Amino acid sequence: MSKEEIITRLAQSVIDGEPEDAVELAKQALDEGLDPLVCINQGLTAGINRVGELFASGEYFLPDLIIGGEAMKAALAVLEPALAGDQERQILGRVVLGTVRGDLHEIGKTLVGTMLTANGFLVTDIGIDKPAADFVSAAREANATLIGASALLTTTMPEQQKIVEELKEAGLRDQVRVMIGGAPITQGWADKIGADGYAEDAISAVALAKQLVGVPV
Amino acid sequence: MPGLEPIRPQLKLEVLNPDELASIKAATLHVLEQVGIHVPSERALRVFAERGAQVDRESQIVRLPPGLVMDAMNLAPRSYQLCGRAAGTELALDGTASYFCTDGCGVYALDFETGQQRASCKDDVAKMARVSDYLSSIAFYWPMVSAQDHAWTAPLHELDASFNNTVKHVQTETVMGEKAARYAVRMAEVIAGDAADMRARPPLSSLICTIAPLGQDRQGIEAGMVFAEAGIPVGFMSMPNMGLTAPVATGGALAAASAEVVSAMVLMQLVAPGAPTFYSIVASVMDPHSANYINAIAEKYLCHVAGVQIAHDWGVPVLGGAFGAQNLEAATWQHGRDSVYNSLMVPLAGADIVVGLGLLRASTLLVPEQIIFDDEIYHTCRILARGIDTSDDGLALDVIAEVGPRGHYLAQRNTRQHLRSWWFPELSHPQRPMHESAPPDIRRRARAKLDKILREHQTQPLDDAATAELQAILEAAERELDA
Ligand code: B12
Repeated sequence: MSKEEIITRLAQSVIDGEPEDAVELAKQALDEGLDPLVCINQGLTAGINRVGELFASGEYFLPDLIIGGEAMKAALAVLEPALAGDQERQILGRVVLGTVRGDLHEIGKTLVGTMLTANGFLVTDIGIDKPAADFVSAAREANATLIGASALLTTTMPEQQKIVEELKEAGLRDQVRVMIGGAPITQGWADKIGADGYAEDAISAVALAKQLVGVPV
Repeated sequence: MPGLEPIRPQLKLEVLNPDELASIKAATLHVLEQVGIHVPSERALRVFAERGAQVDRESQIVRLPPGLVMDAMNLAPRSYQLCGRAAGTELALDGTASYFCTDGCGVYALDFETGQQRASCKDDVAKMARVSDYLSSIAFYWPMVSAQDHAWTAPLHELDASFNNTVKHVQTETVMGEKAARYAVRMAEVIAGDAADMRARPPLSSLICTIAPLGQDRQGIEAGMVFAEAGIPVGFMSMPNMGLTAPVATGGALAAASAEVVSAMVLMQLVAPGAPTFYSIVASVMDPHSANYINAIAEKYLCHVAGVQIAHDWGVPVLGGAFGAQNLEAATWQHGRDSVYNSLMVPLAGADIVVGLGLLRASTLLVPEQIIFDDEIYHTCRILARGIDTSDDGLALDVIAEVGPRGHYLAQRNTRQHLRSWWFPELSHPQRPMHESAPPDIRRRARAKLDKILREHQTQPLDDAATAELQAILEAAERELDA
């Protein structure tokens, strides 16, 4: 297989959502001496961008999006360790993402995580039912620029406010932007608690995250 | 309170035959034994372990041997009563009638005065309880929205507003956690008189959601155990979103959902043998782009009916799902279309209790007059379910003979007598020819009826002592829970 062909097929394995093929092709690429950064940028990233386009145009469904993201992650796990010391995959920002304390709704949060990852963010998903303090400490550890907090219950919304407050207390408010979401959340609530933004679905969450880290949308 | 008019179906609907029911039960037992259920509660894990379930403390996964499941489910009663605080509010869950309640737990309301959308509050719960007290379609009350003007005690304030404004049975969907449940039990004792009366005539019941796929909510089951021990009927609802939190195919979705519900019911029987419990599956299909529920899709209606049959196959009462339209506005084609299948199919399948009338936008928005629209659909279904009367009275041969060819039936006592007991769709067919003309816009007609109820209907009040006791319980709860 030619080098171009390997890269095209890497992209295609993400588009088709075939994690096993993606891993095989990534290994093959390294065996053939291809530059892992080129494989990532021209293969995997090109593939996931195409997946995003197909999803946005309505042709692809969520499982296509999620399994495409998994194919990308699986191949990345092979390629990233092979990057030369001075090479680095371009990351738009580090995000700590979770669902707040008392709240077990996980699906929306996970979807947002998948879309952010597919679009070049490095996401640390801390899971569901997490108190504000966990968001803050995870943000500190991950050196995050963004916190994403999901709340689906009106009774758990106040925990989003606590995140903003505890970030201030920890002296991290200047470094970390806070975005919030979930069915009962509105822009009004975001303004009220001093969060930096609100998005109503996973696609607009990506646009919001880009805007908050200063990347053109 | 005008008398209740439950649906007593003569027509029957089945979507599963006995072989299909057996294969779903076998699949459910298989999932419970082989795959297991996530049970994140120390207390529940202890109970399961003591009774011979295979419990993995680390992963909090419980696997239930079929014998344990069958024995526990055999303890669950098929029939019992839900009661209100006045005569005529008793609901016998015995397979002869379907009793409907309001939809619940919405988060927004269109303001009663301004019509502007805002966050829901306790007064909305109270007003709609009074409307529900009046409507004969509503047999029991789910607090329709969240009392967001209160913090952690909001669920208890919802009960307070409900008990004060309707004599009908109240079912909570939001009281979670052991502590809140204990306060709710005390409130129910006040309504019933004492603990013994509360067991005999429970004025409160509770519905708790399982966490699809194959999980329980700690706060939910811990509240459930408190309720079961106190004799408050407690039900579990699985809300599988097919393709997302359950297999995309209906059979697998039902088996997995059933495993969630049955495992919780088994737990209740282990802590309180013979406790009144009920079963519920409200399934839907995922929107393949947003993962939200598609609220009005054929597979959902099939699963709702199947859920009723599966519950009865286990020998327990069932809460079915109906109404709950997706649309944003009252009085649209979509609202009628979304509501009408379930609200007919679920009672025809024999659901003992059914939720619920009155919310829009997938159960999140209270449009006050919506309940009037749903009331009309309900009564239409009620009459449909009765079928055709072929009794002597129904065939009316004597009247046919008396009128004979070329006469008319207007002068017949039989006509007069029957028409008096008929139900007429006054919203879609306003009939006040002699009086002032009805507003031409159907939404305004619905609103006029709602306003009339709010203006004129007074709920039989609680006595002052009970009101004061409820208030004292709320204050104690606020000190403990809101702190
Ligand atoms: C599915 C569901 C459940 C499932 C959750 C399964 C799971 N593993 O997650 C189960 C059945 C377990 C469940 C349980 C309960 N639920 Co529930 N649930 C829902 C439901 C129907 C859909 C939620 C969902 O997954 N939507 C699909 C996803 C894709 O959408 P989403 O979550 O909104 O996320 C999108 C956006 O909001 C946004 N977003 C989300 N998070 C974030 C974060 C950031 C940073 C950003 C930028 C954007 C963003 O992007 C997402 C992707 O597009 C909603 C109703 C609704 N219409 O929202 C009720 C709802 C949220 N639940 C409700 C209730 C009451 C409960 C229970 C208390 C019920 C009970 N009696 O037990 C329990 C609570 C359990 C707990 N402690 O959390 C109420 C809340 C009402 C209120 N007053 O707060 C709702 C509104 C339904 C209702 N009207 O009754 N629920």
